[in-house]
Amino acid sequence: MTASTTTPLETLREHLQTAIEIEWSTIPPYLCALWSLADGPNEYVAGNVEEVAMEEMLHLTLACNLLNAIGGGPRLVPDPVTQLPQPPSYPTYLPHSDDAFLVNLLPFSSEALETFCLIERPAAPGAPPEPGRYRTIAQFYAAVRELLDELGPDIFTGPPERQVDQRYYYGSGGEATAIHDRPSADGALEVIVDQGEGIPGESIWDADENVFGEGGELAHYFVFDELYRGRRYTKDDTPSSGPTGDPILLDYGSVLPMRPNPKAEDYAEGTELRELTETCNATYSRMLVELDAAFNGEPSRLVVAVQTMLQLRGESLALMRIPLGDGSGLNAGPAFQWRAPTAT
Amino acid sequence: MGDRTDPAGGGIAVADYDVVIVGAGPVGALLARELGDDGTQVLVLEAGPAAGRTWAEYQANVEQYLGSDAKVPNSPYYTPQYAPSPNVLDIRKLKDGVPSDAGYFVQKGPLPFSSDYLRSQGGTMLHWLATCLRMVPNDFEQQSRYGKGVDWPISYDELRAHYARAEFELGVSANVEDQAYLGITFPEDYVFPMVRIPPSYLDQHIANTINGSTVPLDGGDAKLLVSSTPQARNSIPNPDYDGGKGYRPRGAHGAPYEGLRCEGNSSCIPICPVQAKYNPLKTWEQVGPNVEVRTQCVVSQVLHLGKAGPVQGLEYIDYTDGAPPSKPERVTADLYILAGGSIENAKLLLGSDVPNTYDHIGRHLMDHPYVIAWASMPENIGAFRGPSSTSGIEILRDGSFRSDRAAFRMEIDNWGWDFCTFAPYTDVEAAVHGNGNGKGLFGSALRDHLADTVPRQFRFGFLYEQLPSRGNRVEVDNRYLDALGLPRPVITYDVDTYTRAGMAASRSLWEKLFAVLGAEDHTKFSRTDPGYLTHDGKPYTYHGAGHNVGTHRMGDHPENSVVDSYQRCWEHENLYLVGCGSLPTIATSNPSLTMTALIFRTLESLRDDLGIR
Repeated sequence: MTASTTTPLETLREHLQTAIEIEWSTIPPYLCALWSLADGPNEYVAGNVEEVAMEEMLHLTLACNLLNAIGGGPRLVPDPVTQLPQPPSYPTYLPHSDDAFLVNLLPFSSEALETFCLIERPAAPGAPPEPGRYRTIAQFYAAVRELLDELGPDIFTGPPERQVDQRYYYGSGGEATAIHDRPSADGALEVIVDQGEGIPGESIWDADENVFGEGGELAHYFVFDELYRGRRYTKDDTPSSGPTGDPILLDYGSVLPMRPNPKAEDYAEGTELRELTETCNATYSRMLVELDAAFNGEPSRLVVAVQTMLQLRGESLALMRIPLGDGSGLNAGPAFQWRAPTAT
Repeated sequence: MGDRTDPAGGGIAVADYDVVIVGAGPVGALLARELGDDGTQVLVLEAGPAAGRTWAEYQANVEQYLGSDAKVPNSPYYTPQYAPSPNVLDIRKLKDGVPSDAGYFVQKGPLPFSSDYLRSQGGTMLHWLATCLRMVPNDFEQQSRYGKGVDWPISYDELRAHYARAEFELGVSANVEDQAYLGITFPEDYVFPMVRIPPSYLDQHIANTINGSTVPLDGGDAKLLVSSTPQARNSIPNPDYDGGKGYRPRGAHGAPYEGLRCEGNSSCIPICPVQAKYNPLKTWEQVGPNVEVRTQCVVSQVLHLGKAGPVQGLEYIDYTDGAPPSKPERVTADLYILAGGSIENAKLLLGSDVPNTYDHIGRHLMDHPYVIAWASMPENIGAFRGPSSTSGIEILRDGSFRSDRAAFRMEIDNWGWDFCTFAPYTDVEAAVHGNGNGKGLFGSALRDHLADTVPRQFRFGFLYEQLPSRGNRVEVDNRYLDALGLPRPVITYDVDTYTRAGMAASRSLWEKLFAVLGAEDHTKFSRTDPGYLTHDGKPYTYHGAGHNVGTHRMGDHPENSVVDSYQRCWEHENLYLVGCGSLPTIATSNPSLTMTALIFRTLESLRDDLGIR
């Protein structure tokens, strides 16, 4: 499926760039769901959504480390010439997926949870590795592993100073590790797949207990599945038993009623909501620029990017608390639209 | 109780434990972990409650803090009726000759002792600021060099390696090049576990304005330099630490990926919500199975022979809230360690009538009287962001002037006027009520006014050294008892002219700095302040710094001290008194780092006693 001029190493790099785009495109929807819970009593639910969102940030970081380790360069902002990669514009399909479902920016809701379950769905046992038009993310990463096998141990030639490790990455979903050989690459891939989907067909638990000594946590799919079903998984539950624990109390009435897929263009020029949404877009875009720099040889820029993330949260929450005032009962929200920063 | 059988089988009573530690605060935690790991059987008796054993329990403390009206250091923490703690809200202006028993302390004056502490697992270090300055070498020789105070029985060089160990245990963020001043030295390849916490915008603004300039002090010109403050607060780990092995920041107790960096929540005192700041719960998490902790057990008596010689046991009262307390129970050990803080240690010893031949127990109580000068900058300097203090002026901590007046350090404080005026709440209230001219603000005018004024607030905090004085002391008095019938600390306290002269010198400094910075001075000292005093006709109000030092000071001879340089009681060879109470002088550094360093010296002696090598 690769063009004849493309080497297997280049193909692997392309796949990893795709991986980055996949992880990246899941984060805004998770954040919208999380932030919509900010003013309510739904602490258990919010804690779980937050955990997943932070682990996706870890996965993005690990995918960037792997790409850097094999001599690539992650791209998180569009190239001025090719305009690639295009940051996700919601609603969107997952990049390079089989386009089976659309991902929307929604407040916390059963509709959002249905999508999240689809995103994190484990591969069916025996599903083939599938790098393009994959059905599940696990299939995609299985294809990455196959290419690593094919290419052997000598491809880890990237400059070690491009690795983002625990000096600059912290407190979010686990430990970012530097990747410099096949075992460290396998370790990172294991974290990504296991935190996401559990061990396919076998367990509802992720591998944090083995990897981080954290005590097991539910794999992402099951985090969302139990919220969707409104009942907690217990220690001995399995994918086929479903959750058998206590009911999960959800106060949907306190969820901030963000409009679906907000856009700056929803509001007339010159209105306050237009301005606030564009301010938030600019902050999001600046964060992408800072992340792009952090993953391209300036790891210390992650410190600044984290500050921008906190600013993005504040601006997003402010929007999510503003009623549209059009009788719909809905509020504004963050749009996550790319706005190329003007040169200074 | 840990019934141990006599290995000889001779029916001779053997001690219940190898070691009993009184107090589950920072000292108790570290000693218990170290001795437990050695294979020693340790019992820890804590008067206060268990605290923050899980992430959820800790978050409940955060909630209590958020919900409290007066956000004082003890407000996040539960204080049981049978183990009361002093509270700064109980500090009163004292009337001549009339003791104040408004709170747990009984204050005989003439001035109030203005600090609190916390009786709880984790101890007072749950609400410390986490400043980790080393003492300067001359601090250990204050009598020889300046004819004031006393010399320590150990030198800076003897403590230097222990300082490094303490910086590891607490997780200190600092850069060596900022900290090597006034004779403080480090091994050539030393780096701190983590790089320094970034200086605040206010710090940078002040440093850019005053670094290298001078201020007339003590008849000469004192050169000014803003120094980054070493802090036990997580920052970027230094990859060069420990010969290139690096350092792993320690996250929250029960949530290892929380608190790996300071997040600028700006509530270090009284509680860091993410535990980026060290607290002793992190050490308790590492304590192994040889250690048994019993909370809500108040030690009521140290049993002794009525003369010099080994302590015979301890009595303690086990209580549950709302129920009548138990009868005293007895426990014995080979070694006894009092680690309840300077004032509780002294209270317990005095209340037990422990032989005290040279009458030093409870005396030489010290604190850092803390004076705040506050002002408004001509422009926004980003007040209320980050830890409360990230830089200070440290190079005035030593000099020949110490023959005449107290040295001090100056904190640059990032939280506006919060401690001085209860800003920003009072700013809102005043603006709503029209700032005294009748026209109340609301809506966007109120927002604009606050956004214009509050971010310009800043303050300097001055911590002055206090000389050890026999008259500043803790006593017990049977007229003043707590709910268990145990003595409450009765405190006599004053601030002498040496320290007041230090305040006068600091006034020259802050007035000069405010002028250079173009800042508008808003400092007010009121006669009604509990800590109001004057010197040379000028007023000052001091507060407590929570640095409760003295009461069982160390020395080189029983005639001049209670403990030796290993914190072993001279008169009772199986009794150690460990903590800030052992410091012979307070000098100008916040004492927790030195206290922690001394623990490692004490462990050498404890291990000798226990036959551990």
